[in-house]
Order: sequence, then structure tokens, then C-alpha cells
Amino acid sequence: MHELREEPLPAAPPAPHARGRCIVVTSGKGGVGKTTTTANVGVALAATGARVALIDADVGLRNLDIVLGLEARVRHHVLDVLEGHAEIDDALVSDKRVPGLKLLAASQTREKDDVDTAAFKGLVDTLRERFDYVLIDCPAGIEKGFQNAIAGADEAIVVCTPEVSAVRDADRVVGLLGDRMKITLIVNRLRPALVRRGKMLSVDDVNAILRLPLLGVIADEPGVIVATNKGEPIALDPASPTGEAYRKIAGRIVGTDTSTPEIPREATFFGKLFGGQR
Amino acid sequence: MARRIVVTSGKGGVGKTTTTANLGAALAMRGKRVVLVDADIGLRNLDLVLGLEKRIVFDLVEVVEGRCQLRQALIRDKRFGESLAILPAAQTRDKTAVSENQFAKVLDDLAEMCDYVIVDCPAGIEHGFRNAIAGVREAIVVTTPEVSAIRDADRVIGKLNERGLPMRLIINRIRPEMVRSGDMLSVEDVCEILSAELLGIVPDDEDVIDTTNRGEPIALNTDSRLGAIFEKIARRLEGEIVPFTALNAPTFLSRFLGRKAG
Repeated sequence: MHELREEPLPAAPPAPHARGRCIVVTSGKGGVGKTTTTANVGVALAATGARVALIDADVGLRNLDIVLGLEARVRHHVLDVLEGHAEIDDALVSDKRVPGLKLLAASQTREKDDVDTAAFKGLVDTLRERFDYVLIDCPAGIEKGFQNAIAGADEAIVVCTPEVSAVRDADRVVGLLGDRMKITLIVNRLRPALVRRGKMLSVDDVNAILRLPLLGVIADEPGVIVATNKGEPIALDPASPTGEAYRKIAGRIVGTDTSTPEIPREATFFGKLFGGQR
Repeated sequence: MARRIVVTSGKGGVGKTTTTANLGAALAMRGKRVVLVDADIGLRNLDLVLGLEKRIVFDLVEVVEGRCQLRQALIRDKRFGESLAILPAAQTRDKTAVSENQFAKVLDDLAEMCDYVIVDCPAGIEHGFRNAIAGVREAIVVTTPEVSAIRDADRVIGKLNERGLPMRLIINRIRPEMVRSGDMLSVEDVCEILSAELLGIVPDDEDVIDTTNRGEPIALNTDSRLGAIFEKIARRLEGEIVPFTALNAPTFLSRFLGRKAG
């Protein structure tokens, strides 16, 4: 088990002309919400006025384009750029809803072993010259796709759900990242009512094992599934508390929000009854 | 000779490991001899879901490397008498530690000892996936009613078809009230998109989170809603024609009174 980290959360926004920050969103276990997190944090960062590039590193099983609702506009992908078949600018898809947000999609018909790790890092470095933030959506697992995804990053967001298997896999990933980069934690899909009844691990239970600076906590709510299926990240919804939680996460990354992450609260019976569930 | 089945999905976190554990448990409770194989080398979890993590001595990689006998690496789940055992994955190695041929050989050997060998496939379609499908004769694809999971399942089904492996589908974590409100794809939608034969429909049930965290497969409790569903899936796998349970959304009143839905 790794050492307790007591670093502060990522500080100050980058000075003008400085290289952008590259953050990999990873987890070990699949299906804990890496892609949803990448999309929503990316949207929220871009909404602060930052220039943000999102890279889907899940070659062969890409999904970030779907979650952002941009799948119909993908023309070129990561491997096209790496292999010289397309210019970066032709491959970057602009998200028209959020100025400053661009997506570089993964190749769907290729495999992770086709990606040269050093070349991928070179691509990330190029993007860091032009964007304030480069977010990388890491595939599940700890193999080649993971190695590619972390190669150019100097910060990591580990996404973990309150489940023992997710915590075990996250712990393995934190061990593999070691001291190579600053790591923060997002606890995803918390169900406060289950925690209260002792049927789900609490944020403290999760972090008693992982011991990472907490960047945010996201509640399990049907609205996220709906938003994902529609390709409209919930961070775009100004009325959604989950959207607000992502905006606060972005604020903490940029350094403008120094508040302690809130633990989502239970919907009240009357709130549910009158449709105020979110 | 045992039936050899892989449980796969493409996307992670859709419930492969939980399905493997519960299907294995349901078959074992029907008196079948079952061995579950964790193919997720480096990120094993099947042992945790069954609460067997403290009893691991040897693992799949050590079997392949000849450092122990196959039988020594098997961990018997005593709750099922002699019926259920797992072959754990190695945690500190990676998926390239085992070749496809080596994996298929282990499955051949296991098939001599039992009625069902069920392989818990890792996420992705790389080396770990190729190993997991190397020695099997049939596949169960698990998906959730989400666009991303269905896209990945479609990709995996294409790869299974290339190998000529017959497959059936389990749709996991359906939320009937969301289907009814039009916020979630229905079972029919998913089957149509994937043009696959259905093996089971499993509703989203918060008890699964808890039982999984405690290492107690929910199939152990046949009185529970999901226990009954996994029992039916096991019977379908054995060739019985078992109608699918109607997944009616709990009405407001039944939820209020704490009754279980259909």
C-alpha cells in the first residue's frame, strides 16, 4: 500500500503561454465512469473559458464521442494523426455547445497495440502547446492502452465507485502510477441512502484504502444515464446538482474553488414525491 | 466433457464478474460441478465477489508455468459442497503472462473435471480477451441498456462471430421505471440492435452492490428476486424453456409498502 499523500489540490491556472496541463482519467476497473467523468469535467473546464482537448485513448472500444454526442462528426482519429493520414486540426472535432472544447476520437477498428506509446506522448505534447487542458480518457485495464494513456500525463484523476472490486483495482492503478504524477480522487455513483443503511461503502471507507486528495463526489442518479444516452453531458445542465458537482470539480482543478468536496445528500421522501429527486 | 463458456462484454463494469459468480452459484445449486476461471490477470475480482480472496494460494499463471498442479490452485467454495470452485487470476502479473494456447490447455484440463467451465473475461478486446475466448465453445455477452455498452457489445459479438462461437445475451441492470418513462432502452431495443438471442434479463437491484461487497453471491438466496432470476438463467442454459419474468416497474404503492416487484 502506498503512502498517505497530503499534497494540496492542483493549484493556480496556467500562466499565459505556459504549456497546458495534461490529466489522465483512469480507474483500472471498467464501467466506473471514466468516460462520463472525462466528458463532464472537460465541458465544465471549457465553460470556465479554458481551451480543452479531450483524447479518447480507448482504441477499439471508443465511447467518448457518443457520450459527448459527437459520433456523427468524427472524421479522423488518433491513429490517423499518428500515422500521418490526417492533420491534428482535421481530426479535432469542435463541440459547438461549448466554445474551446475539442475531441480527438479513438480509432474504432484498430487495437491498442497499434499505438506507439512514444508517438502518443508526442501528440499529447503537441496539444499541450495549444490547449490549457488536455484530458485523456484511459481504457479499462492496466495493459498497453493504460501505458499509452498515462505516458504524456503529469496528473491523474482516479475514478472509483464505492465497491470493493473498484477500490481494489483503483489501488492497483495508484500503485502503478507511483510517484510519477499528482493523483486526485473522484468517488462516483455514491448512493447516500445505501451508505446510511450500511449497504454501501462510504467516501471515507473508500479513501481509508486509497488515501488520495478528494477532488469530488458524484451521486448515482438516473439523470446521468439519460444524459449519456442522449450525448448531452449533465455538466451542461445548469439546474442539475450533479452538473454543479462537476462544475465545482472543474473549479478545484483550475484553482478557483477551494471548498471541500460535498458528499451528496439523500433525496427526501417529499422531494421524490414531487419530482425534485435530483 | 464440460461445457466451456466465456462471459464477456467489451465494456468494463457491466457485470461480467457478478454474472459469472451468480451463474456459477445457480448451476452449482442445481447439482452441477462448476469451475469458474478468472481471466483478468492483474485486476482479478472474482475471488472478492465470492468472498474467497483470503484462501488464494496459487493462481492461473503458476499453473501455466508448472509451479503447481491445477488441482492445487482450485479454491473450493464450501457453501456449495463439492460443486463450485474457482481458478483465480494472478494479481501481480499481466495478461501477456499467459498465451492463448496455454489458456486453452488449462480449459481442456478443467473440462475433464466438471460439468461447466465458465471464464470471466476482462474488459477490452486485447490479449486478455483473446486468452479468455481461446478455449471456449460458447459465449454469454453481458450488456447494460446504455449506448456505450451496446456499442462495445456489438464489437465483441463481431469478434465472437469471426471465431464461430455461438453466443447469447444477458441484459443487466435494467431499470423498468426508466424504460417506461422512455429514459432507458428496452430489452427489445437492445436485442434488436445486437440481433442476439436472449438468455436473461437482470434488473438493477441495490442488493447486488451489498452482497457483492460482502462476497456473498445473491444467487445463494433463491428467495430473492435476483436469486430466482439467476436460477432461471441457469435452467435456460441447461436447455429448459423458461419464460422471461415480466419486469414491471414497482408501483408507487408497492414501493411504499416495501413489496417486491414481479
